[in-house]
Amino acid sequence: MDNLVLISAEAVSAILCFVLVRFMIKPYRFTGESRYVGLPLGFAFLGLSYLFMGFAYFSGTLIFIEDMKWLQLLTQTFAFAFLAVTYYFSKRTSKRKRLRWQISFTALIVGLAISYLIVFVPPTFVLPSYKTVDEYFRLVNILLVSYISLHALRSHTMKPDPKTLWFPLGYVLLGFSQYSSLVWSLDSSFTALIGAHVLRLAGLIVFLVVSIRTFTPHDATKEGESI
Amino acid sequence: MKIYGDILSILYHETKKEKVVLTQVQLKTNVPYDRLKKYIDELKELGLIQDEPSLQLTTKGQQYLREYQTVLDFMERMGLMYKKGIPQTPLLLK
Repeated sequence: MDNLVLISAEAVSAILCFVLVRFMIKPYRFTGESRYVGLPLGFAFLGLSYLFMGFAYFSGTLIFIEDMKWLQLLTQTFAFAFLAVTYYFSKRTSKRKRLRWQISFTALIVGLAISYLIVFVPPTFVLPSYKTVDEYFRLVNILLVSYISLHALRSHTMKPDPKTLWFPLGYVLLGFSQYSSLVWSLDSSFTALIGAHVLRLAGLIVFLVVSIRTFTPHDATKEGESI
Repeated sequence: MKIYGDILSILYHETKKEKVVLTQVQLKTNVPYDRLKKYIDELKELGLIQDEPSLQLTTKGQQYLREYQTVLDFMERMGLMYKKGIPQTPLLLK
């Protein structure tokens, strides 16, 4: 029963992320600037990570579970890394910044490929236990999401408007979800596990509602209107 | 793509005045005059602007600008701080 709830939560999270990719690709398509490609990539990887975790809960084979968990771990951290790098390079444009973006983006792709090779392709290295690596990766995730939240909140404080508050809130919820996952990893508290899933779903729903509200034409749209 | 949206946005505001002065558009877009002329020609070819009776946005251009503004609004909501100085066109968002 518990497994069914967890599988459902992972499946819903994955679906929400894949729907969000449709909205996240628009800044890149409309501006034609490659630095925004990290947004759809980030949410696509996030969706994949939830899908892998869902498979891990679903699978009955122990080896398969471990593989899926490692895949989830790597994919999720790189998803947050793509988003954080996109936010970092969104500040201003210059030839130097574009070059730095291209180097960072390439480094992320290469890093991701190397990580997968190290974990899955023989000869496999002797790695620390999944639990230990998971804790460190959660910490990295918290740092990355904190950076994104602060960046988004900074934009809000520069131009205070209720409509620019929702996305930072979504990121903060994702950050707390990661913290809750870390607590669960440390003390196996069931409440922390459920909390992590609820917070994550809440964050993703906030993103989805804001995206739909922004892109759905409605007559009442006026200057300064907020969701 | 981005520069097209910026030029259309500025043109939309400039057409409220009696006559569109390209120098004003050039100053606001910060693009050299010869390149601006090239962009204007491209926008005409795409059917986004017309110069009869005066330089102004076509219906297709207004539709493109509306979508462009929606994407900018989305990016602002995301906290991406995409741009400063280019006028927003709330009337078009109606």
